[in-house]
Parts: sequence; structure tokens; C-alpha cells
Amino acid sequence: MMAELTINDFNAKERPQWCPGCGNFAIMGAIRGALLDLRIPPHQTVISSGIGCSSKMPHYVRTYGFEGLHGRTLPVASGIKLANHKLNVIAVGGDGDGYGIGMGHFQHIMRRNYDLTYIVHDNQIYGLTTGQASPTSQLGMKTKTTPYGVVETPFNPVASAILGGATFVSRVFAGDMAHMKGILMQAMAHRGFALVDVMQPCVTFNKLNTYEFFTKRCYKLDSEVKKHDPSDRLAAIEKALEPEKTNYERIPLGVFYKVDRPIYEDSLPQIKDKALVEHDISDVDISGAFKDMM
Amino acid sequence: MGYPEYPSLIRGGHNTVQVRISEKPILSPRSSQDLLIALNKDAVFYHMSTMSKGGAIIYDELIDISKFGKRSDVRMYPLPLSKLTQEAGGTEQMKNMAALGAALGIVDYPFQMIDHLIRDEFGRKGEEVVKKNIDAAKAGYDHVRTNHFDFPIKLKPVSDAKRLIITGNEAIALGAVRGGMSFYAAYPMTPASSILHYLAEIEREFGILVKQTEDEIAAMNYAIGASYAGARAMVGTSGGGFALMVEALGMAAMSETPIVAVISQRSGPSTGLPTWTEQGDLRFAMHCSQGDFPRIILAPGDVQECFFLTAKALNLAEKYQMPVIVLSDKHLSETVFTTEPFNQSKVKVERGKIADAGSLPPLAPMERWHRYALADDGVSPRVFPGTPNGEHVASSYEHDVNGFSTENFVMRAKQVDKRARKLKEALKEMSAPVIYGHKDAKIAIIGWGSMKIPILDALPLLDNAGIKVKYVHFTHIFPLERKAVKKALRGCKTLIAAENNSTAQFAGVLKEHAGVDMDFCLLKYDGRPFFPEQIAEQVQGLSKKEFKGDKDITVVEKEDLEYYNTQKYGL
Repeated sequence: MMAELTINDFNAKERPQWCPGCGNFAIMGAIRGALLDLRIPPHQTVISSGIGCSSKMPHYVRTYGFEGLHGRTLPVASGIKLANHKLNVIAVGGDGDGYGIGMGHFQHIMRRNYDLTYIVHDNQIYGLTTGQASPTSQLGMKTKTTPYGVVETPFNPVASAILGGATFVSRVFAGDMAHMKGILMQAMAHRGFALVDVMQPCVTFNKLNTYEFFTKRCYKLDSEVKKHDPSDRLAAIEKALEPEKTNYERIPLGVFYKVDRPIYEDSLPQIKDKALVEHDISDVDISGAFKDMM
Repeated sequence: MGYPEYPSLIRGGHNTVQVRISEKPILSPRSSQDLLIALNKDAVFYHMSTMSKGGAIIYDELIDISKFGKRSDVRMYPLPLSKLTQEAGGTEQMKNMAALGAALGIVDYPFQMIDHLIRDEFGRKGEEVVKKNIDAAKAGYDHVRTNHFDFPIKLKPVSDAKRLIITGNEAIALGAVRGGMSFYAAYPMTPASSILHYLAEIEREFGILVKQTEDEIAAMNYAIGASYAGARAMVGTSGGGFALMVEALGMAAMSETPIVAVISQRSGPSTGLPTWTEQGDLRFAMHCSQGDFPRIILAPGDVQECFFLTAKALNLAEKYQMPVIVLSDKHLSETVFTTEPFNQSKVKVERGKIADAGSLPPLAPMERWHRYALADDGVSPRVFPGTPNGEHVASSYEHDVNGFSTENFVMRAKQVDKRARKLKEALKEMSAPVIYGHKDAKIAIIGWGSMKIPILDALPLLDNAGIKVKYVHFTHIFPLERKAVKKALRGCKTLIAAENNSTAQFAGVLKEHAGVDMDFCLLKYDGRPFFPEQIAEQVQGLSKKEFKGDKDITVVEKEDLEYYNTQKYGL
């Protein structure tokens, strides 16, 4: 009988390298807490990541982990999921990783609807490479690569995900760990591709989108008088466009959109009874294939 | 065997299939043809110059060839193909069946064979389609049987033995399935696509999973993820697609995740000649991706080798936890060969060191499994996600024994050495080159991979010319065992490399890694494979000159088929 899980089971001895005050600490805590509350033992979870500050996550949450290449957290996570769909697979990355170099994978994974969770530490800046503009940097923001201000329209991950076919689309704020943990638990429990876009202050390189900035502007979708209906796709897009429409005065948090759609794994009879890794591959008889070639 | 040639043109252009029939084993197409079925005007024109003396051209009598120069030594058989097909109730496209029937009749072969063939091929389209095609073929067959044709070559069935009719790509796919591959990811790219097509067709039958991804970057990363999770994973592509996989290939090396990559080479650089052959990616496969890391390169030369070496590649990748690259090319991948059914009992799946799920001791609090322990042979056991007490991180960064990123100089050097030690172990599994022909010959032709196809067929031609040669065939390309190479070439006075590329890439590898210098390099890089006659002719030429002259010898087709000058001839 396995001993009762505690939060310590998810703690790793490696000391996070993040700057003091970084939003990543809270995300790390929320992931650990969500795994504990969902009672998923450490060996049943794989955290896949790309490259960036956020992508150090596999080292700090004691589960299985794969720290891959810049922008490639989703294809690695997809391969892991297809090989063993019984695992709880979490893909982690930043806004540069997922919405920049890895954008193509993001669009396609939503069409496929694998049953996995994608957490994007969206700090609207490149942190590890010391402060260049990212795909979600706000218009006019001055960075090392945009000394005269950003002129490219920021990517809207939440709206894109709702349109792109994601079946669970949410946004949280790293300054509210309890709410973040709750949404993460919903995302992991959701059967399908779940996006959690985290508004994560980078205390070193992003002096615009600070804790104060978000605390003033963020509000929770389910705290409104007229409650948002996450099954309403058009209403979800309306909410996703709210930050742009209000010049970032109002930033909704919570579940924007949620729908049940068959997952990709359901379409594969070959893994209906057994995960791919459980198949016996030691003596596959191929003589049946010869007949068609004679 | 059947050798297809087709241009990279959306509407097809000039497509050919060359079929060679023999009682003895043959591998290669020839540069000339005995019997040509020309389905359009271009085909008559293009191949007039490539016909062998006394050969025959079957074509529709409606095709006007009055403007062409004719050859007095080629038999012209204008047949009423359209008319016969119409009378038999067939559609215009079915006149190819009438022509096939006629060809079979001309060589006196029993009609029954084509009847079976049509039923096999068109059976799923229903009885009406089958009947119309058979009727068209029969009309062509009967026409030539009732009229006199003086074609001297006759064929008869020689055996009832069932053999496989299979392409290199299909043999690679079957070798992979037999070798325990459970996950294949790819993006379509000629000439590797037919591996993807065939595996997709059989994936449910064999319980494997085949994924067409959004690009080759994703394909390689999917496969590495699947391999990390415990599946046997493979990718397949051509050079351009492999270029996109290269960053992740290095990640497989760094994270010691087994992976097999099949590269079916085509003429480069860049988009190159998409539907033509070359062996130009050897150095690319050997050196691609940043940093120093071990890898293994295999290159099959026929369909049996495609089957067994792909299965072996999967074993090597897992036993030594490193990338294994299998180099094919358009010629081997898409040519159809006949062969004995593969002796699948000879394939044993060896998965290497995997920590037993039941035996992992509990980890101390906050600790990780030592996935990258500094094992004596470099191979530290893998453990798959889902296994209690095996938690670790696989990383593209340099790492400590538990997978945690480290920039400790001592550990960095130790991990580099650990990975390198695996290659020393793997070297023991690299088979020596195989020698064909006269074992004691003083002249050796050295080839690798698909060069086996024309060279084996060139050996009898050289025998007839009274020149004793041996063929030294390399399938295990890297790492190379110096002693084995020296042994294979011992006693040879003249070493002639033959390669389908312009820079003698393998000759360079032999010099670098085995210390042997080639005397001559026959190089062909016009998009076509060597024909056996070209190799025989070059060796004969060298022999006449007592093996003196320039080292690099470029081989090109004698006759330009005027593919691109059709307007000049009013076509």
C-alpha cells in the first residue's frame, strides 16, 4: 500500500534559479498543489518543457520530466501521450517558446485534442535571453530589440485557442495562487487539450506588466453578476478580446471556454485496451503482410 | 525487378517503369530495353535511342511517328490498341491493358498470369472493371497471337515458388514492424513517403501508431517523446526534411533517448531533383547537429538488407541509447524487387538496459533516479514514466547523473566521455563489409548502400570481359572498424570506389577512419543510378589504360534523351 501522498512528494532538492519575486514560483506551487489535490502520484505525471525560464519547471516539480528544445514542448508531450496515454502529461513553456518559435505546434495540437494540459508562463517578454520583445509584448513596449516600442500587434492566445479548436481555454494570474491551482486542477481533469495561459510578471525585464498592473486590472469571470457561460463560444471570444478592447484595463481570469469533444486517443483502436508501451513487441509476426506482396 | 522513373511534375510528364526478367537473381535496371510499350508519342521518341539491337516497340497505330528518325535494327509494332480496347468494351485508359496483353503474347507467355494480376489489382473496384480490363488485355494478347510477330525473345514460367514483390521502402517498413517499432512519425516527402503510406495502411493490423505531423520538426520531437515514454520510435524523411530534424537529433543524443531516422536520399542540395536518386547525404548524416556526440549509420543495399538492417537499427538505438540513421535513396526505396520472404525468425528484439519496474528502491525524499549514472560501458539503464521511484529529468542541457542541468566542468567532461564510451561498445556490432565476386581479385570495387544494385549486376559483365574483380560492399558505414576494412581490402592492388554523388563522400570516410586511399572514384550525380554497363565499361577502360589516369571519373548518360527539347521535334 502506498503511503498517503503529501506535498513533499512533489518537492525536488534542486533550488529554483528564478529571480526573487518571479511569478514562476507561484506556478510551481500551484502545479504541486494541483497534483497533490488530484491525488496523482509523482511517477504518473510527465512534465515536458521547452527552453526558457519557465521551462526549468521539470527540475523543480518532482515527477518525470523532459526538458526539450526551444518551442518543442508540445510535440514531445504529444509523443509521450500517444506512447502512454495513461500518463498525466503537462506541457510547460513560455510565450516566446509556445507563441513564437513553437506557434505551429500550438495551432495543430488544438485540432488534435490530445488529453493533456498546456501551461504557458506568459510574461510578455523573453526572460532567459535577457529582455527582448515577445509575441505577446504590448504595443509600444520598449525592450532591447524594440528600443522605439513594439509595433507588431500582440498575439491573443486565448482568442486564438477558442477559435483554434482547444476544448478548454483558461487564463490565470500568477499573483493569485489559490485561483491558479483551482483552474489547473480543472484543466488536468478536463478530457482533452487544456490551455492555461498564466499572466506571469517578469520582475527583472518587464517593468510594464507588473504584479500591480495585473492586480488592478484582473477580474474573475465567475465573480461577475451575469455569469459567463463557458460553453458559449462566441461569448468566450468576446471575453478573450476584452483586454484589447479596453486597452488592458480589464483582464478576465478563469475558464473562457470548455467543450467536450472526442479526444484523438479515442480514434485509435490499437490503444483501446493497452497503452502503446504495454504492447508486446518482442515477436511481432509479419507473415500476414507477405501475402499481399506475393 | 521494376525500376520507375518519373519527373517531379504535377501532371506526370514522361513516366516509365522498366521491368527486367531473368532466371538468375538480378537487381538493377539496364540502360537499354528489349521490348518497349510506348503509350504515347513521346515515349516512342524518347526511347528510340535506348532500344537494344533487335528490340521491339509496341505502340498504338494511331500515333504518327513519320517525323521521327527510325532505326533499322529496331522492330516497330504499330498495333490497333485503341480499336481493340473499344471493341472489347473498354475505356480509352484501358488500352494500356491491351498493350500489356500484346507484350505478353509476343513473348509467348501464358495469358493466365495477367488474368490473376488484374483480379488482384482491380478486384476492389468490382467485377465490371475487372472484366473490362481482362477483356482489353485478352484482345491485345489474341491480336498478336493471330498475327505474326518475329520477336526473338520468349518467356516461360519457370517456377511456382512464391516470392515477395517489394520496394525498399516497404522492406524498411516491414523490418521496422518486425523489429518492434511501435511508433512512426513523419511528414510527407519524396522518396520516403511510401514508408509512411505503407505503415499507415498496416498500423491497425500490427497495433502500431503512425502519425503524420505538421512538419519534420514535430515528427522528430514526437518520436523522441514516444521513445522517452518507452515506445520503439522511428522517423522517415529525405534530406530536406531531415535538415529540420537535426536540432532534435542532437537532443536525442544528449538526453540519450533512442531514435531511428530513415533518410531516403534524393538529389540535392535544397529541393534538388525531388524524384531522382543520389547518395549525397552521407556526410550530412555523419556530421549534422551541433556538438560532439556518437551516432550509428547503416546503409542497406537491397531489400533483404533493408529489412534486417532496419530491425537492427532499432536494436542498436535502444541498446546504446543513441541516434541510428538508416540511409536509403530513391533508387533503393522505390525500385520494386523480387526476393524470398524475409526469414523473420532471424530478428531478435533486444531492448538493452531497462530498469525493472518491480525492483526500483525507494528514492530518498526529494531525490531522483540516477538515469545518467556513469556506467563503465557508458550505457546507464533507462526507466519509463509510470515506473514508481524512477522519476528523473531527461534534458537537452548537459546534466548531472540525475538529469539536473549542470555546468560543473568535471561532470560535463564525464558525461561527454560516458556518451562516447557507448560508441566503443556499439563498434563491436558493426558488421564487416561483405565481399562478392572473386575473393582473390586484385581489383576491388568499393561501394556502399544502394551501389550494391548496379555493381552486383556489373560483375558478370566484367567476368565476360575477362577482368577479375571483387565487390566490397559496406552496409555498416559508421563507426568503421579499421581492421575489418583493412582485412577486406588486403591483397588488392587497385581500389575503385563507386558512388552516386559528386564528391566521393564514402571514399573520404574510408580515408579518414580506416586510412585507406582509393585509386579511382567513379562518380555519378546526374539524378540517375549507375547502370551495370557503365560500371563495367569504366573498369574495362581503366584496365586498358593499365589503371593510370585521373582519380575522379564522372559518369554521365551517353545519350541525352532530349527530354527538354521536345519542341524542336514538334512533339
